[in-house]
Formats: sequence, structure tokens, C-alpha cells
Amino acid sequence: MKFAKEPYLTVNLILAGIIVLVMIYSAIFSPDTNNYPVVCIHEKLTGEPCVSCGLSHSFSLILRGRLDEAYNWNIYGMRVFLFFFLQLFMRIVFSVVYLKYSDIRKQLIIMDIMGSIILFLISFRQFFVYLLHYS
Amino acid sequence: MEDIKNKTRQNLGIAALITAIVTFVLAVIPCIGLIAIIPGIIAIVLASVGLSHAAKDDSPRGVLIAGLIIAIVASLISFSQVFIAGKIVDKADKWQETIEGIVNDVQDEVLQDLEDTNVSIKIQNGDEKIEISAGANKKEKVEELEELEGENTSIADTLEQN
Repeated sequence: MKFAKEPYLTVNLILAGIIVLVMIYSAIFSPDTNNYPVVCIHEKLTGEPCVSCGLSHSFSLILRGRLDEAYNWNIYGMRVFLFFFLQLFMRIVFSVVYLKYSDIRKQLIIMDIMGSIILFLISFRQFFVYLLHYS
Repeated sequence: MEDIKNKTRQNLGIAALITAIVTFVLAVIPCIGLIAIIPGIIAIVLASVGLSHAAKDDSPRGVLIAGLIIAIVASLISFSQVFIAGKIVDKADKWQETIEGIVNDVQDEVLQDLEDTNVSIKIQNGDEKIEISAGANKKEKVEELEELEGENTSIADTLEQN
């Protein structure tokens, strides 16, 4: 079993599984019934909504194709959703390339790390700005 | 036996790295950032245990170090949210004063505008028509008063706002 021998493939497989779980969570819980188990701890503590409030609703609405409503719930919802979606895509593609081309594995891992960091910073930029603003 | 040890160490490294990455993503989301401290600590423990095992037999530890660094940074971000929440609460307490200040400023501006306006009232009853014009302009009133007093007047009246 190649996955057991290669840590990179194992990491990719588990991360892809986590992203799929996020998608399933967004699909199961509906914004119409508002039955989300995760509440904003930040809002509970401060009494003020934060920059990431409405992200679960936004994800659920994006999965249901209601993009305008998703944008209203959280303006950064689409960006963060795209990050997870692209990561899922990247985990699959990079794993296939890793298995197929054994001579470029090191370069592939470096490219994956750099790409993921850049994508993460772009997608979560506003959250960083928010955290830096109050810290 | 050695194979089992290596496999356990590798699994520890993978577990630490994945937990650290998940912690990092959770830590920067303000809604759930505070609870990210729990997986952060788990990742640090996993990486530390893996590193201590790796140090004994001098085996590769790149994944473990990466996991440890990411976990520490993520935990720090998560922990910093306690202070951020505190600062927001402090700011929320000051919002009442800020809003009062804004209301007072608007009130002053409105009064200033009213002071400079000219009011004209027209009353018409059949053929009778009365028109009252009152210029509230302070400058005009001062000029009017000075004109009435004349040039050689000893009275030095001023128009002061109450």
C-alpha cells in the first residue's frame, strides 16, 4: 500500500477527508432551519458580531447555489469556500502527480507548500486584518 | 521491531502535522479561534513526543519540526484571541460615550445652521396679507444694532449668544 509508505500521500488523504467533512457539514445543516451546532464564541464573549460570523450559513448557501444570500451572510464566505474547494482539488491532483512522477517529488512538495500558503493568505486576508486591528 | 518503531514515529509526525494545519486554519477564524488552542496543544504534545523518540535513534524529524512550529504559531494566534476579545469588550464600553459625542456634534451643527438661516412667515387671510421676515444671522443683527446706535453712541451693546 503506497499511502502507508508515503507520509505526503497520507497527509493529503487526511486533509482531503477533513475538507469533505466540512462540505458534508455545510450540506447537512440548513440555513433555513438554522440548526448549526457551532456558535460564534467571539460573539458570545464580546456581544459583538465578528468578521467570520455567518460563515457556516454562507457555506451552506453556496453549496445550495444561493450565492446572493451567501454573500449577504458573510462577504468573505465565497473566498474561504473557494480556498477549501481548491485545496480539495489540489490534494487530489498533487497526490496523482506525486505517484506518477517520482523524480519531481521534492519540487512538487515545495510547490504545494508555497501555493497553499499564498492561497491561504489571500483567502483569509481579511481575518488576519481583523485580528491585527484588535491586537 | 525497528520497522514498527519507525512507523509509529512517522504516524506521530503525520498526526502532529495534520493537527497543526487544522489548528492554524481554525485559529485565524475569529468565531472558533479560541477553541483552536485545544488541538494546538495536542499537536505540540504529539510533535514533542515524536521528536524525543527521534532524538534517541537519530532518525529524520522534518515532519515533526514542521508540525511543532505550525502548532506553536497556531496556538499563539488562538491564545491571542483572548486579549482581542478583551479589547473589543473595552471598546464596546466606550461606544456609549462615542455615540453621545457624535449626537452632540450633530446637534451643534444643526444649531449653527439654524443661526445662519433667514426665516420668512407669510399669513394670508382673504385680501389681508402679512409677511414677517426674521433673519437669524448673527452678523446681520450686529450690523443692524450698530446702525441703530449711531456712530457717536456711548452704549457698547453686543449681541451675545446665550
